[in-house]
Amino acid sequence: MEQRLANAWHMTVNEKKFIEAALLLGLRNDGRNLYDYRKLTIKFGREDGSSEVQLGQTRVMGFATCKLVQPYRDRPNEGTISIFTEFSPMADPSFESGRPGESAVELGRVIDRGLRESRAVDVESLCVLAGRFIWAVRIDLHILDNGGNLVDAANIAALAALSTFRRPECSLGGEDNQEVIVHPPEAREPLPLTLHHLPIAVTFAFLSEESIVILDPTHLEEAVMGGRMTATLNTNGSICSIQKAGGDGIPQSVIMQCIRIAASKAADISSKIKDVVEAYNNERSLRKIKRHHVGVAAKQ
Amino acid sequence: MEIDRTDGRSPNQLRPLACSRGILHRSHGSASWSQGDTRVIAAVYGPKAGTKKNENPERACLEVIWKPKTGQSGKEEKEYETILKRTLQSICILTINPNTTTSIIIQVVHDDGSLLPCAVNAACVALVDAGIPLKHLAVSICCCLATCGHVILDPTKLEEEKMKAFAYLVFPNSINSILPEGSSHTKSKQLEDGLVTSVTHGGMSVEDYFHCLDRGRAATARLSDFLRKNLQSQVLGEGSKAG
Repeated sequence: MEQRLANAWHMTVNEKKFIEAALLLGLRNDGRNLYDYRKLTIKFGREDGSSEVQLGQTRVMGFATCKLVQPYRDRPNEGTISIFTEFSPMADPSFESGRPGESAVELGRVIDRGLRESRAVDVESLCVLAGRFIWAVRIDLHILDNGGNLVDAANIAALAALSTFRRPECSLGGEDNQEVIVHPPEAREPLPLTLHHLPIAVTFAFLSEESIVILDPTHLEEAVMGGRMTATLNTNGSICSIQKAGGDGIPQSVIMQCIRIAASKAADISSKIKDVVEAYNNERSLRKIKRHHVGVAAKQ
Repeated sequence: MEIDRTDGRSPNQLRPLACSRGILHRSHGSASWSQGDTRVIAAVYGPKAGTKKNENPERACLEVIWKPKTGQSGKEEKEYETILKRTLQSICILTINPNTTTSIIIQVVHDDGSLLPCAVNAACVALVDAGIPLKHLAVSICCCLATCGHVILDPTKLEEEKMKAFAYLVFPNSINSILPEGSSHTKSKQLEDGLVTSVTHGGMSVEDYFHCLDRGRAATARLSDFLRKNLQSQVLGEGSKAG
């Protein structure tokens, strides 16, 4: 109870020295190798476009929704994607509700750069009526449990939500084809988004002495690290974004080595996401067939 | 006259319940509760030192944060937070840890009707998981009144929208007493007939309201059993959780 009464979590000097000493010997306190990811599970919710990702002890939920709005004036025939990150106070005793802190904003920006600026989602297909109506896709990421490395987990949650999201089909009608009619999902099957590639974020943590580099830090390792770097890449070999905001100076050779490791990890995670999304789509079409058969049988 | 429900349930039948405790690692207590497709995750942090500005420092204080699925928190979320705070304040023993704050954070995962009762049940299980001292548990249910005058329990979102009126009711958990019969009989009888919270939407006659209360109380026996079985099985299965 005494630990709970303290208002902030502080790492003890013993824990810090233990983790540092173990890393000097190449050991991590959960038994992983220096460049291993924790166990990744991706689950989907009841609706299209809701995902729940668990990376070790870190848990993130992503929800994708869309709305018809007016486009920006300088881009009249492109849809928009916006990412809202919530560091829920449920994830960490130091997270407070209200205005997002620095790390929440940084996380949102890294995912935003990886997804939007690399043109991963085809925004031109989101245009309904040029200059008047476009689909604005909104992704809400809720961090439920902070077990370390929130960027990677949140990125995967955003990608999983986008991959299974479906927007309603709409057609132009009315007198001079200027009215937009949105068809409900029962009338016409909603359409998936077009994703050109999957930008995967891979985070490294650097420890001050002996330039030790580890992949996918836990929250204990994050409290000990001297600096971190997130590289967002896709399986085509393109680097979508690199984020290294302050922290210890790292030699160039180490950065290049990290990017090479990140490329192979990105391929693994990418194929995992694709498999899970395919399984979800198969199950969804089976459910549709079952419902259709029940409906047909009922009519007879 | 029977009423037809789209998913084929009888008017008194609840949706399938699912509950898991201790799902999050950083929080001191956590729970996930789902009734059919409605799912809510609750996390508890506390007791933390200090109380908020206008709260009584001689008692423990509760703070509720409600996070909707998408969008910013608005007035509706504030209303849920206040209702939940007052409900949970009446079941917690506030004199045990004075000058402390316990935070309860609710995250809506999916809303398919009967959201507030789901959240109350989840918060209750999360408080048990965190080891916060409680007088008794609370079970919550939604009763609605159809236009033909029938009372239906645990509606889905579509049913809720078509109803004339509905009420969210919170009852104290029925007590399984280990004391011999008759010793504290009157006190426990009074408690079982009690009502902790009632939130109504739409207009209904007094008779219909009492009808709803009766049906709701009868259904809470099933909820209480489910809750007790769920909590007991997990307690026997695990060791102690430090910190």
